[in-house]
Formats: sequence, structure tokens, C-alpha cells
Amino acid sequence: MIQKKNNIGIIAFVLLAFLVTAPLYARNWKSPDDQKDKKSYLKFDATTASQGEALYNANCASCHGTPGKNNSLKSLNPIPPDLSTKASQQLTDGELLYIVTNGAGLMPSFKNILSEEKEWLIISYLRGFNKEYVQQLSKFDPAKSKLVKLTTTFDKASQSIIIQAIANEKTGVVAIAGAEVSLFVKRYFGNFQVDKSVKTDAMGKATIAFPTDIPGDKTGKLNVLVKMFEANYGEVQKTDSFDIGIPTDKPALNEKRAIWNVVSKAPLWVIGLYSMGLISFLMLLAYLLLNLRKIFKS
Amino acid sequence: MSDKKSSEKIIADLLGHIRLSKSFMAWMGILSVSLVVCLYAYFLQLRDGMVVTGLGDYVSWGMYISNFVFFVATSLIGMLISAVLSLLNQKWAAPLARIAEIIALAFAAVAGLVIVMDMGRPERLLNVFIHGRIQSPIVWDVTVVTIYVLISTLFLYIPLIPDLKICSEKLDKLPPFARKIYTLLSLNWKGTPEQHELIKKSTRALAIFIIPVALAIHTVTSWLFANTSRAGWDSTIFGPYFVTGAFVSGTAAVIIAMFVFRKSFKLNEYITDYHFDKIGKLLVLVSLVYLYFNLNEYMVPAYKMKRAEAFHIHELFAGSHAFMFWATQLLGLVIPIILLLFKPFRKPLPILVIALMVLIGSWFKRYIIVVPTMEHPFLPIQNVPLNFKIYTPTLIEIGVTIAPMIMVLLIVTVLSKVIPIIPIQETLDHASETEQK
Ligand code: HEC
Repeated sequence: MIQKKNNIGIIAFVLLAFLVTAPLYARNWKSPDDQKDKKSYLKFDATTASQGEALYNANCASCHGTPGKNNSLKSLNPIPPDLSTKASQQLTDGELLYIVTNGAGLMPSFKNILSEEKEWLIISYLRGFNKEYVQQLSKFDPAKSKLVKLTTTFDKASQSIIIQAIANEKTGVVAIAGAEVSLFVKRYFGNFQVDKSVKTDAMGKATIAFPTDIPGDKTGKLNVLVKMFEANYGEVQKTDSFDIGIPTDKPALNEKRAIWNVVSKAPLWVIGLYSMGLISFLMLLAYLLLNLRKIFKS
Repeated sequence: MSDKKSSEKIIADLLGHIRLSKSFMAWMGILSVSLVVCLYAYFLQLRDGMVVTGLGDYVSWGMYISNFVFFVATSLIGMLISAVLSLLNQKWAAPLARIAEIIALAFAAVAGLVIVMDMGRPERLLNVFIHGRIQSPIVWDVTVVTIYVLISTLFLYIPLIPDLKICSEKLDKLPPFARKIYTLLSLNWKGTPEQHELIKKSTRALAIFIIPVALAIHTVTSWLFANTSRAGWDSTIFGPYFVTGAFVSGTAAVIIAMFVFRKSFKLNEYITDYHFDKIGKLLVLVSLVYLYFNLNEYMVPAYKMKRAEAFHIHELFAGSHAFMFWATQLLGLVIPIILLLFKPFRKPLPILVIALMVLIGSWFKRYIIVVPTMEHPFLPIQNVPLNFKIYTPTLIEIGVTIAPMIMVLLIVTVLSKVIPIIPIQETLDHASETEQK
């Protein structure tokens, strides 16, 4: 009898414990339904997985650790999950892609850092840890994106960049309407998005106002990146450069002579002191050798 | 000192040790076998890589660089005794000059090797010469250590020339090739006033020049640390702190050598209690200066207790390195100073024991300077295994660390068997001077 009571107690405790901690297991993000079913157009194989591994190590491992090693960064709250575990692997490909693209809580968004293709490569790597996983390919044909032609022009009057998306279909040129376009300025690290993403109109055109205060290089040149996404044509990118930034002439830190520079740009005082030391040693050496010669000769 | 000795006796006495004795052979045998064992450890390190050591991403310098600093430090003694004391006309140190120079040369020559032993890919040493940046203290260090080795060699050799002549003439039972070498190296020495003058001038030039070079080698070594922003190294007095510390370990090394040479070469009449008493006082002096620098080095950060420094100081004073820290400070510095203030402790045997304590303390002091700082960087690396953060040297590493010490002993032993360790010509001159008075 006592035994039984105990068992009930344990069950009750476990249940209670589960109820109390349940919210901790709940995910605090939610991907939109149309994203959830999204599938990769890349076929996952050993090559994509190894490409993905490199990307994972460069972008994700600092937080998530090595999959299967349970060595994720414990100082974060919530602790980034080990992505090889069942809980994470239960996510659909579309959900994984959504999380990586948009971030979740502490997890940063990789939207401006990784292209969709690279994100799929990472997911391909992660799926390698799941034996039960069977890939379903998307019907999307990546060859279609090759047909797309993006043009960017700067309109001085309205101080904005006009983007036009067209596709050279067999049937003739068609404007891509309703595509999502985003504009970025290239910086040293990553890209800086200008304004929000907008949709193209019936002519395939979209206008994004461009700020007047972005620093460019010596001549004010800025490198911009345009990204277009459309369900049929997939993701297309184009880079361009315009003289629309503020000219800035900050010499690079390694242009002048400095302690941290290469030998040919060593500070003169270092060269001076070092050579003086060396020369005085050589002079002493010469003097001594001369003396030794004199001793020998006398 | 006062009793008159004929020059024949002086020469016979001071050349006495230049012959192959059984005990010398046995000692060399022991050294060689130990060296082979240690070199095998180094072979393992070369074959398998630095994994065989306890070094890692945190403590990448560890014992090897502590050892390097210790070697450079000890080699400075040549400059102190043979140059500074002779320029200051401290006559008592004259018979010790050559011992100090031999020690300096041995330690300096091996110091370079110690650095190479810390490299996983020793052949990349060449990169220092090919790609070295003259803004880098490493390049200064390589330059200045090389110069110091060259200068120390000359500083040993030039005053030795008259003695080499005496060797070639007075040593009996010498194989002909050896006699030839002595004759060759003695450069036609005839003892003319002109030759004497040339030797005197050259020695003087060397004595003056070696002072800045010696200061430079240890200051640059200290800059390898102080120019890095790390708790415990980020200090403006590291140069003098290292230099004064160097005198302590070097003096201790000379005392040990004096004792051993005096005993095994029967030089009681030349290295007397008077010399031990004098050098004992010298050891007190340099130790006091070093103690003063120690006080500065710990007092200033400990008063401010900036975050990282506070952690460092705590580790040393009461944390995981406390035992070693207090042992080196007390046994290697404070207690020796106190004991040496009393004359009986400056007698040969007690001072030998004290010098051994000081020398061992000096080695561990370098360890205390290098390792604790490396164990806690400002920006800890994420997700490293615990054994990265706590450094424990491996057996192989200890073997590789001992190898250079054996090399020094080998060099000193061999030199002491081929050249008179007490300058003969100088002793003769000195004897005739006192006679004339
Ligand atoms: C700055 C640290 C950080 C980086 C870098 C990071 N993540 Fe995350 N990630 C997190 C955190 C924290 C969570 C948990 C978020 C939450 O539950 O609120 C998380 C959650 C996830 C999830 C959801 C897992 C699950 O089971 O809920 C996925 C998938 C994911 N990350 C993938 C990636 C990938 C792929 C990369 C690299 C491209 C990456 N993360 C880079 C911190 C990071």
C-alpha cells in the first residue's frame, strides 16, 4: 500500500514539475504558415553539407557550439539549443529557414548576412545529424532566376533609387510585379539596409528614397546591393555603385608610418634607433678585430 | 692573499685543473646521458607537436618562456662582475671575472635555443629574419641576444689571450693538436707593452659597451611582456625590475660556480673566504634593490585593485599560485637577505646553500611572472576545456626544460677544462705589483 502511495506521489510530482516547467520548453517565436512549408530548391548531399559546415562554423558555432557536443554558449539566456537534438530537428525546413533569416529572441537575424542559398547549405549540414530526415524538394526552378534582369538608377530630383525588375522569358520581356525588393549599402562588415523592403508595381518598378548623409569613399562613391525576391523567380541580387554618398577622406590607419605597420612603413625613430645600435656594435666589432690583428702582427 | 707566491707556483696552481680527470669523465658522462634523455623528450615534441606539452591557447608560453627569461637573466652577471665592478675598480672581483664571463656566455648562448624549443615549428625561426618587423620587440630581442653572445665571447676571449699563450707553453702532456690550437688562438702573444696596451684598451671598450647591451637584452626581454596589455605585465618598471632580478640570479649562479670550482680544482688560495664574504655582500645589495622593485611591482596595482589586476594579485597572494609566490619571495629573496647580513652566513658552505635557494627561487619567480598572467586574459576564450585555463606542465615539457640547463653545465664544464678559470696573467701582474710595494 505504502509503495503504491509513493508511486502516485512520484507521478503527481513529475506531472506538476512538467506543468511548471512547460513554458520553458515552449518556443517563443512563430513562423508564418506560408513560410513553414517552404522547401529547399537545393538537393542536400555531402557537398552541400560540407559547404554548410563551413558556413555554420563561421556564423553559428560561436553560440550553438558543435552539433552533438552540447557545447553551446551557456552564458546566454535562453541557452542556444544544440541544433542536432530532436527538438530542433522537428522543425520543418521552412521553419529553420525562417528562424535563421529573421532571428528569434537573442538569436540575430541573418537576413543581411547570408543569402538564401547559404542558409539552405547550413540547413543541409544540420540535417546530416538527423537520420530520419527525408528531404522534400521545392518545385521551384532555380534556373528561372537567371532570366531576371535588375536595373538600378538614381533619380536626383527625388533623391531616390529606382529599381526595375524584368524577366527575359521566351515569350518576351515581362515586368515582375509584386516582387519584394530591398536596398542595401555595403559597409566594411555586412550590409546596411536602406529604408524598408518594398513591392514592385505593375511595371516591375519600385522606388526607395535614399538618405543624403551616408559617407562614401573619397569621391562619395557608394556600393549598393539590391535584392529581389519573388516566388517564381526566387532570390536575385545585383550590385551597383553611385556617387551619391558624402565624400570622406579618412586615410586608412595603415597608410602612414606606424608601430603596427609593415617594415617598409616603420616609424623613422625605430629605424634610427635600431640602426644606430647595430652600427655602433659593428664599429666596436671592427675596432676589436683591428686590435686583434695588431696584436697578431706585433 | 698576502703570502708571497712564486709565479711558477701560481701558474702551476691555476693550470692545474686543465687536464682530463676521472671525476671529470664521470661528470661528463652523467651530463651527457641526462642530456640524451631530455633531447629524446624534445624529439617527441618535434614528432608529435606541442600537444605533448601542457601549453595551450591560454598559457602558450608556460615553462619554456619562464626558462628563457631565467637564462637571459642569469647571463647578465657577466656584465655586472666583469664590467661594472672592474670599471669601478673593485679589485676583489678580478679573480671572479672569468667565472662570471663563462657563466654569462653559457647562459646567453643557450637562451636562444630555449626560445626555439618553445616553437612547435622551429624551422619558422627563419621567418623572423625574412619577415621580421623592426617595430617588433621579438626582432629587437633576437638582435640583442645575438650581439650579447658575440660580445660575451669576445669579452671572454680577449683577456684570455695571454693565458692561452701560457697554456700552450706551460701545459705538459698536451696532445700536439691541442697545443697548436692554443698557440693559434694566442695570436703571437709575446707580452710586449704594446700588446698589453691593446688588450687593455680592447677590454675596456668591451667593458663599457657590454653594459648597455646587457641592459638592453633584459629590458627588451621585459618588453616582450610589458608591451602586451595584460594584468600583471602592464607595468612601466618591468625593465629595471627584470634587470635587478637578473643580478640576483646571476650572482647566485656565480657563487655556486665559485664554490664548486674552488672545491674541485683546489683553488682555496685564490678563491678565499674573503671573496665569498664580498660577493655575499654584493648579493645582499642586488637582492635589496630587487626587493624594492618587487615592492613597487605589487604595491601599486594592489593599492588600486583594478578589476583584472585585483584578480591577478589575489591569485598570487592567496589564490592558486600563493604557495609558489610566497615561497619564492620568502625563501628566494627575503630570508637570504636577512641571513647574508650576518658574517657567518657569508662563509663558503652556508652561502652555497643560500645561493642555491636564491637560484631556484629565481627560476620559480620567472614562472610566477609568466604563467598566472597568461591564465587569465582580459577576454577569456569561449567554450574552452578547463585544462586550457589551468596550466600543468607535462613530463616531456619538464624534460625539454631541463635540457638547456644541462647544456649550460656542459658548456661551463668543458670551458673550465680548457681554459684557466682564474686569469693567470692578471694574478701574476697583481702579485708582482704587491711585491714592488
Ligand atoms: C548570438 C548567438 C546566436 C547565433 C550567432 C546564432 N544563434 Fe541560433 N539561437 C540563439 C538563441 C539564443 C536561440 C534560442 C532563441 C529562443 O529560444 O528564444 C537560437 C535558436 C535557434 C534555432 C531554433 C532552435 C530551436 O530548437 O528552437 C535555430 C534553428 C537556430 N538558432 C539556428 C541558428 C543558425 C543556423 C545560426 C547560424 C547561421 C544561428 N542560429 C546563429 C543564438 C544564436
